[in-house]
Amino acid sequence: MLLNILIGFGVAVFGFVLQTSVAGVNRKVIARLQKRYGPKWYQEFIDIFKLLSKRATSHGWIFDFGVIMALGGIIATAMFMPLTNNIVAFAGYDNFFIFVYLIAVGMLGMAMSASGSGNPYASIGVMRALTTMLAYEVPFMVVILTIIKISGSSSLSLIGAFQQSAGNNWFFIALPLGGIVGLICLMGMIGKKPFETYIAPAEIASGPMVEYGGKQLGMLFIMHEITVFIEVSLFVHLFLGGAENIFLFLVKYFAVYTVLNLISNVNGRLKIDQVVKFYYKWPLIMAVTQAIIAIYFGWVV
Amino acid sequence: MASIEFLILFLVLASFLSYFVTKINSFAGSIVTIFATMFVLVSLSAYGFNATLDTTVLYLPGFTFEFTYLGVYFAIIVAFVYSMVSFFHPYFVDHYKYKNAYNMLFLLSLAGVLGAFFTNNFMQLFFFFELIVWTTMFLIPLGKSKSAAVSYFGFSAAGSFAMLFGILIMFKEAGSFDITAGLASLSGTNAILVFVSFIIAGFAKLGVFPLHIWLPIAHGNAPHPFSPVLSGALVKLGAFVAILALVRISPASSMITAIGLPFAHYIIALLGAASIVFGTLMAIKEDDAKKLLAYSSMSHGGYIIVAFSLLDSVAFAGGFYHILAHALASAGAFMAIAAVAHRTGTTKMSELGGIIHKMPITYVVYLVAIISMAGIPPMGGFISKWLIFQAVIDKGLIFISIAVFFGSIGSFLYVFRPLAALFLGQEFPQFKKIKEAPILMLIPMVIITLLNIYTGVFPNGILGFINKILPELGNYAPLVINSPALTITGYNGVLHPTLIAGVFGFGVVVAFIIFILLKKSRQVGLMDTYTAANFIHTEELLHYSVDFYAPLERLYEKQATIMTDFYDALANKVKEIGKLAKYLFMSKYVEVSVFWIVAILAFLLWGEI
Repeated sequence: MLLNILIGFGVAVFGFVLQTSVAGVNRKVIARLQKRYGPKWYQEFIDIFKLLSKRATSHGWIFDFGVIMALGGIIATAMFMPLTNNIVAFAGYDNFFIFVYLIAVGMLGMAMSASGSGNPYASIGVMRALTTMLAYEVPFMVVILTIIKISGSSSLSLIGAFQQSAGNNWFFIALPLGGIVGLICLMGMIGKKPFETYIAPAEIASGPMVEYGGKQLGMLFIMHEITVFIEVSLFVHLFLGGAENIFLFLVKYFAVYTVLNLISNVNGRLKIDQVVKFYYKWPLIMAVTQAIIAIYFGWVV
Repeated sequence: MASIEFLILFLVLASFLSYFVTKINSFAGSIVTIFATMFVLVSLSAYGFNATLDTTVLYLPGFTFEFTYLGVYFAIIVAFVYSMVSFFHPYFVDHYKYKNAYNMLFLLSLAGVLGAFFTNNFMQLFFFFELIVWTTMFLIPLGKSKSAAVSYFGFSAAGSFAMLFGILIMFKEAGSFDITAGLASLSGTNAILVFVSFIIAGFAKLGVFPLHIWLPIAHGNAPHPFSPVLSGALVKLGAFVAILALVRISPASSMITAIGLPFAHYIIALLGAASIVFGTLMAIKEDDAKKLLAYSSMSHGGYIIVAFSLLDSVAFAGGFYHILAHALASAGAFMAIAAVAHRTGTTKMSELGGIIHKMPITYVVYLVAIISMAGIPPMGGFISKWLIFQAVIDKGLIFISIAVFFGSIGSFLYVFRPLAALFLGQEFPQFKKIKEAPILMLIPMVIITLLNIYTGVFPNGILGFINKILPELGNYAPLVINSPALTITGYNGVLHPTLIAGVFGFGVVVAFIIFILLKKSRQVGLMDTYTAANFIHTEELLHYSVDFYAPLERLYEKQATIMTDFYDALANKVKEIGKLAKYLFMSKYVEVSVFWIVAILAFLLWGEI
């Protein structure tokens, strides 16, 4: 059991390092897109460790406790995440629903802490984050229902193995409409434009993050990187056939994140009601169509 | 030796005792209610878990009782909520006009609940049902509004009479009021009629769409300590009746082969789904914290209905567990709100803010309750929602799954509102002097919080008990649980709740170590925040709590009043028909009356002359 916990913690740390590096490389990619030179690829690490070393202000115990709960919840979620078919801390218990709901503990901790700061911008940011969550989660879950129904399992590594077995395509190809919905929902999940309404630095001063500085902000940055790691890995395992080895995982991970980042950088920001309207229109219709085609008619590519 | 009859008689006697004791001293009278309910809870648990509860009847002629695991499960949950809430009485009864009646009716309604869950006779079920409705009807108007009781009674009476209709049909068929014989005798059209009438009764009690209008009115205006009972305990009576109808009556209807469900049950599941969506959307809009929780009860009633209409053992286990998890969560949340109302005098979110600094324990109680209510691990609500999801996905119910997922995510939105508006945010100057809730109120709240965590971390014991209920409902396989390994097996995965909780604890410890190792922060006041260079000196202006989800609410504000409009229109139509009848038959002109007399005589004598 101790070994499993250590492996899980290793996965969480690996996820943090991986996502922070990938994000740094992506800053360079975007810079080249905009004809700039861009920062060093390890700039994100410098930012986080600088923040962790600074002295900060605190707005009371709930402000600190929320940050601890947020980071703790996200580390716990990441510990269940399989990397490849073999590297998984708690084999058999990497249930999809754990990722959706345990990640919510972390989100709740962050929302609590942000509201506890007493800044209205933070509350507006939390409101927008929760509303965005209501928007993207339903189409996503309908697609996942289809995937679980077809593969007969909600375990991420088993879903990955199902796609790798002979005769089955990746679900991104097998369920083309669902794959597109999954990608759009992933953009909402990791807060990329046009769905980054709840961060909106120029409008509500970074929303939930407005009051943070020093170690609290550093910890929330770590939390954010691990959250992105969890969500992108979810996509890799659910739609892109999982990973037989760590190299394939890295390639798929980098490809997904970079594609999302590129799409994000040519878009503006939607208003929050537009986000809700958008997700409950085309993605939901596509997800339901896909589910009906795949479950009731059995047409899977 | 405890018999059911003895417990009921004991409660009736205790209710009269508390009536007279409260007249002399309200504190002592409230203590009587605490001891009476605790006694009932302890004897129910002690004898109920071992199935040694005596069913013999000595003093009540004509009454018969039967021991079922289903009845015990419900009775223990309800008795638990009653006993926990009774700890609030010493602080609240003095606010009410008829405090002795309050204590008496409280205990009498518990007697009614026990009778309803343990009876094996339909006429008795109806009698105890009415006992609960009548006692509750006089309890609700002691709160904020008298008209709330009218709404409650209207819907409850509609449900009761629908049930009576079904009972009488069965009496005609079977010749007795026995529950098993009555349900077994049904076939053809009668089965459909009884099914529909029992569903109406269950929906009216549970507050499920479209019979939900009374729920926010009654919950929101009931006395503060009675709202947890209404939401956590009494609406579960509706679930009890709905289970009778959904599981034990099979009306003739065609099977939908794609999802393996009878058409009738699919329609009920759709109504449950509508209830989830409607309850969630209305809860997001609500300003009063108690009404918000009432709408959340409606949404959770929808989950229970969906679970029991799937005719599947995993879904049933999920439904039963949800009944328990929601009873605990909603009792905890309502009690925390009651404690806040006791100290501040209001439950409106727009008037409160920042009381976490003065009432931290109440805050933690509310936090744990809403984590369970939103179905987030490591609390009990997650287990039940996981089981229900398993069944919904296994059957491939796409449209119901949309509602189920929407309600699940939507619950994050509405439960967060009171958290942010009441407890967090700026500390209002008028609440800077309030104190934490008194110790007698904290005891039940802490117990409920611990149970909320227990049901999420170690669900196997309770699921083992639910496995004893499942055979009573028909030929359903027990849920696969592995008690030494603490795992639950669903259709498409294995859940290890203890592992999840343990890993979560590990994560929090790691985060705490990181936090404590780094430099200590400087404490600043709540007003010391970034305001984009505006100078703001009043706390209210920096507290964002009114119309929290305004952009989202705007998307459905035109549709929000659709059901109240429907009932208003219905009431108008009834009035119009009454006016027409009055105009036609009760005219002040003699000749009109003579005309009707002649016309009716002519009609009656048609063909005779």
